[in-house]
Amino acid sequence: MNNDLSVGIVVFPGSNCDHDTIAAISSLGAKPVVLDYRLHSLPVLDRVILPGGFSYGDYLRSGALAAAAPIMDAVEQAAADGLPVLGICNGFQILCERGLLPGTLLPNPSGEFICQWQAVRVASESPLFTGLDQGRVLRLPIAHHEGSYRVAQGQLAELFERGQIFLQYSDAEGQLHGLTNPNGSVANIAGVQNRNVVGLMPHPERAMAAYLGSRDGWDLLASWLGMGENAVC
Amino acid sequence: MLTYQDVGLSAREDQEIVRLLGRRPNELELGLFGALWSEHCSYKSSKNLLAQLPHQGQFVVQGPGGNAGVVQLSADWDIAFKIESHNHPSFVEPLQGAATGVGGILRDIVAMGARPIAIADILKFGTDEKAPGLLHRVVEGIGAYGNAIGIPNVTGSLGFSAVYDANPLVNVLAVGMRRHGLHVGADGARPESVLILIGQGTGRDGIHGASLLASQDFGAETEEMRPTVQVGDPFMGKLLMEATLAIVDQGLADAVQDLGAAGLTSSTAELAYASSVGVVVDVSKVICREQNMNPYEIMLSETQERMLLSVPKKNLAAVLEILTWYEVPYAEIGRVVAGDFLRVVAESQVLAELPTSVLVGGCPRLPVTHDVWIWDGDQPAALEKTRLELTWGYQVIGHPDCRDRSSVYQRYDSMIGLRTVWGPEHDVAVMHIEKGSPGLCVAVTAPARWAALDSYAGGIGAVAAALSLVATQGAVPLGITDGINAGNPENSEPHRKMAALIQGIGKAAEIFEVPVTGGNVSLHNETEGQAIWPTAAIGVVARHPNPEQPIADAPPYAGTRILVLNPPGKPDLGGSVLAEILGHPGSYPVLDVGAIQHSLHFLAEIISQAKNVGLLACRAVGIGGLFVAVAKSLITKTPMALGAHLVLAEDADARFVFNEMAGQWVLFVEPDFKPFWDQVFETHGVSVIDIGLVTDSPELMITAGRAITWPLIDLWRAYRKGGVRDVR
Repeated sequence: MNNDLSVGIVVFPGSNCDHDTIAAISSLGAKPVVLDYRLHSLPVLDRVILPGGFSYGDYLRSGALAAAAPIMDAVEQAAADGLPVLGICNGFQILCERGLLPGTLLPNPSGEFICQWQAVRVASESPLFTGLDQGRVLRLPIAHHEGSYRVAQGQLAELFERGQIFLQYSDAEGQLHGLTNPNGSVANIAGVQNRNVVGLMPHPERAMAAYLGSRDGWDLLASWLGMGENAVC
Repeated sequence: MLTYQDVGLSAREDQEIVRLLGRRPNELELGLFGALWSEHCSYKSSKNLLAQLPHQGQFVVQGPGGNAGVVQLSADWDIAFKIESHNHPSFVEPLQGAATGVGGILRDIVAMGARPIAIADILKFGTDEKAPGLLHRVVEGIGAYGNAIGIPNVTGSLGFSAVYDANPLVNVLAVGMRRHGLHVGADGARPESVLILIGQGTGRDGIHGASLLASQDFGAETEEMRPTVQVGDPFMGKLLMEATLAIVDQGLADAVQDLGAAGLTSSTAELAYASSVGVVVDVSKVICREQNMNPYEIMLSETQERMLLSVPKKNLAAVLEILTWYEVPYAEIGRVVAGDFLRVVAESQVLAELPTSVLVGGCPRLPVTHDVWIWDGDQPAALEKTRLELTWGYQVIGHPDCRDRSSVYQRYDSMIGLRTVWGPEHDVAVMHIEKGSPGLCVAVTAPARWAALDSYAGGIGAVAAALSLVATQGAVPLGITDGINAGNPENSEPHRKMAALIQGIGKAAEIFEVPVTGGNVSLHNETEGQAIWPTAAIGVVARHPNPEQPIADAPPYAGTRILVLNPPGKPDLGGSVLAEILGHPGSYPVLDVGAIQHSLHFLAEIISQAKNVGLLACRAVGIGGLFVAVAKSLITKTPMALGAHLVLAEDADARFVFNEMAGQWVLFVEPDFKPFWDQVFETHGVSVIDIGLVTDSPELMITAGRAITWPLIDLWRAYRKGGVRDVR
């Protein structure tokens, strides 16, 4: 049904979640299109994903070098023209570095990489995620060294008012408190959106089957592809 | 003038070189010998011992000798796997030493044409004030490399003893998959092919890493060894991995060899020797990171992230196109010729020429004599009958060797790759391969305390423990890899212990019919005469029949019966954590391998029909004994709502609950199927006893004459935080 939906997946040198993301998109019935970072223009696409990984080895700062890669001019232009763009983990860091999303991602306060299952709560309904209700709790993996989301002084209220906070780290019941915050992110923020651009630290592409520990990533990505409640394939 | 001592050789070896060559080697040649005749590269003290291990088996595609062993998983997929050590560098520079250990073993897997899908780490640390810092930085290093290159770390083993204070152990297992039928290795190079060195520019890092750092004991000068440790670059490692796999997938290279210890010297010489060809290497063509590097430095540099390819001329353009695409630096550094020599040149000037039969194959090996095999060490007496005590439960589960490992494994990405069905939170890893395909079960063990007391029995125990883990999943073991770690082989006692350890591994592999397809030996883990315990890290890969539905390792509901499969007839605390706590180590018991083999077969059969016999969950008894196995099954469940009541014989004592005799399992069984299990000795010839039931009260109660109760919350706290003081 959605075979004609093409999803570009940008591969930077050092991206390492590209294979997993391609597999996830394929399993949802959409068509993954691998986009090399050296491209200066995008083919005709319905969506673009910046996958996770260690682009450019995280040298300088996570995402900083990839944000200046040739393809990012084209991605920025396409985003301005309304193309939905999703950044996962390192992709989120790249979008922040590029200025397409507000805020920044600092090293975890522990100074350590953290990989674990994490409950996240949908903070606000979004036209980008049809059928994903506010308050829905998803079980997704996190795996990052720089995931502590921060914003400039005074910016937080504005982000909430505009409904730009998309996901928050929570407990399994959807409650927000300090103990459920794995990385010191302000207001437990795990994902933000800016019009048609979204970034999130958790890895939905790793939660595509019950045998992997959760199928909630399927729901999240299906919803982003417009295959949620109102657009069942 | 460079002497043989400068390159780490003995006078006898120097004489042997002159005899075999019929002349004195020049300085460069002497350096090449120093590297390849080092313990690290030549395995001169262990090769004759390792030759006695069983290497053949039904599923073996490639045994020892290559960069990694290869076994067949399914009609479509082969598995390449091997353990490697990076002990010495990890003490001198923990973060980079551990990181490059991960990078090195991953390149071995890639050099076999396999895509790495998992790593596991086997670590031993001391108990002094330095140990926590070393552990922290080693874990950071393993994570830094594995996380960045994107290979999940799915299982591991961590242990502590004062014997590792100055010689911590960092062994890493890597596992990869490749299409069945694809042959890639160092042995296919053909004359006329071009040698291409790809990856990182060669620098002055790691010169003499193999000959001086890894092949000698530590002493006061260890601090000065820091420059011999290399620095890892997982980013380049990732590009190198992708480019190499793209090249081998298209069949464009006739041989592949990674550059590890002794760098260009060992990779070129070993490729030539394995392929029965000659090679000519032009050092002036090697891309160097530093200025004015001399041929000696270029040949012996251990710069990481480099790979040597032998490419037929007709494929050259295609290979260079791939390398350009991945932006991997490369240089044509030589060619393959007919012959049996390694010739090093700088443009037209010949700098060294050595027959590989002497350079690679000529190193004198330590002979195996019968005497070496006999273990006659003094052993403290076995522990007498011991009444069970409440505190021992907390002390054992809170012992550093039994404790929760989440503070380590949460620093590793364990989920990337979409294969991790069971990761490091379980005793054994279960990996998904592809829809409809059998999965892969991976387990590691390194029960060093056992081998410290009786290296032979401990070697058997280590293999039995590893196989017991994969047996809980009904998985069919395909092969094992062994990482042998020991002291100075020139000293009698460490050498004899190592020999006994290897013999024990060989005995177990033979009885259990599982081949050893490769591994690693790290000797000279000794500082100022203090050697480590002889330590075997065993890794096993097994075919999982149903990876999407692993057999649980915790009971699902109250009322479940708790059984023990293959309980020892004479439980013996020797070598156990409790025995250490009581200051009475005893000796590790010689196991009844026949009964274990029988139980392994039984489990394989019964798990395939688990539902029909009411088998709900299964866990192998390991470090900490039955007590820890049952306790972990209860406290790792969320919420922690189920307890257990074990009712033991009136005279059952601590020996039954805490012995660590490998080859026992806790089974959780539906009560309705009691008749089947009551008769299993008659029907299947295995010994099973019913020891109690799962309750809905969150405590572990053991009745053996009197009753002792451990609230689970207290066991959990000891498991998470250690010690007994915080509990009561």
